[in-house]
Amino acid sequence: MYLMQSKERAAILGYGAYVPYYRLPTTEIARVWKGGGSGPNVEKAVAAIDEDTVTMAIEASRYAMKMAGTDKLGAVFVGTESKPYAVKPSSTMVAQALGQHHTLAADLEFACKAGTEAMQIVTGLVGSGMIEAGLAVGMDTAQGRPGDDLEYTAASGGAAYVIGRMSKKALAVIDCSTSFVSDTGDFWRRAHERYPRHLSRFTGEPAYFYHIENSVKTLFEETGHKPSDFKYAVFHQPNPRFPVEVASRLGFTMEQIKTGLLNPLIGNTYSGSSPIGLAAVLDEAQPGDKILVASFGSGAGSDAFCIEVLEGVTGARGVNPTVRSMLERSTKIDYSTYSKFRDKLHK
Amino acid sequence: MAIQYWRIRDRYYRLIGSRCGACGSEFFPPVYRCKKCGSEDIADREMPRTGKILTHTLLHEPLPGFEALAPFYLAVVKLDNGAKVLTQIVDSPPDAVKSGAKVRAVVRRAKVDGDSGQIFYGYKFVVE
Repeated sequence: MYLMQSKERAAILGYGAYVPYYRLPTTEIARVWKGGGSGPNVEKAVAAIDEDTVTMAIEASRYAMKMAGTDKLGAVFVGTESKPYAVKPSSTMVAQALGQHHTLAADLEFACKAGTEAMQIVTGLVGSGMIEAGLAVGMDTAQGRPGDDLEYTAASGGAAYVIGRMSKKALAVIDCSTSFVSDTGDFWRRAHERYPRHLSRFTGEPAYFYHIENSVKTLFEETGHKPSDFKYAVFHQPNPRFPVEVASRLGFTMEQIKTGLLNPLIGNTYSGSSPIGLAAVLDEAQPGDKILVASFGSGAGSDAFCIEVLEGVTGARGVNPTVRSMLERSTKIDYSTYSKFRDKLHK
Repeated sequence: MAIQYWRIRDRYYRLIGSRCGACGSEFFPPVYRCKKCGSEDIADREMPRTGKILTHTLLHEPLPGFEALAPFYLAVVKLDNGAKVLTQIVDSPPDAVKSGAKVRAVVRRAKVDGDSGQIFYGYKFVVE
């Protein structure tokens, strides 16, 4: 048995997304560095000069707690690869801002999949009865080396989830999950380095596709589910093409993935990528709908979830801004402003 | 600054102000004695995170340490409980920053102590 399933089911009680206000059109990156047209995505979300993973995690978490109607968290996990401090937890700053002190708090790092790891851990803590509810955040201010292919997609944003015991107000039950990992050197950032490095095409077949296909196929084998059982599917989105390709290989249709496919408009929010895709789906899903979520983190691994939407989701509508409304509330910036905001210029 | 800031970080992260137990007046920043009735029956109170802009200006020459943020909007915001906050307005189109505009609080970096010092966070407001 490779399936992770708690004896007492845990459920999503509230969620909140965060997409920064600023957008950098990829034509701007092309204009400065390579000429020609845009990158694979149209725009990417850029955190302001005074934003970082902590500030964005606080905003998303406040939304999640408001929707959950809770002011007590037994755990606060922040999944990110862009911690403001190399040593000093982001999770304690988030917990302090949320007024949480009697709580387990920790930062998680696994390239782009630390957010879903946080969800799995909180699910386990709730399912075992150790805590009533906990917070799982996937949030990043991803950076790409100026002029590198990665710069077209590396973006800022993410989502937070309050996961707790089942109740009538629960939005969706986290039925089960699987994980699949291997030592794969597709993408890395050494200590003290500002920007990550990657092995270009190696990031596809032996990394993204191999791990997601394994986590999802294992989920299918262990549960008996098939793609047609799911109304929605969300895959990690390093670019617009990979999630469409892996969905096709696994037997999912474009109709199933389009709601959660945000990369063309905001880029790759790393640890926030699949969590914010799930948030966009929960914004419109109906009770009874099943959602498959599969993250991917370089290094490498994938977590796949089977989530079923509950009646409580309808009562949560209108509590927080939707992901779509966050996409619309935006303004474009040029490469110079982006460089200043993301600390690419040094006096 | 680090220790002073640490002692009052809840003021910056959570808008913790004061409520007078005698007359119910609320204040931000916190007070030790009620400004309205003089009572010393004062308790911490989390302020509402929404309000309206009373007045504002566009600041081009900020104090040392805030140069990278310039130009930015500085405003007096009247919170929904009547307390007033001097604050920066962020992420808002210029034509939306005006008296009477509804705003909500967010947490942002307030000041960064170079490349190796601490990062100080605080409240700013966004036009809704």
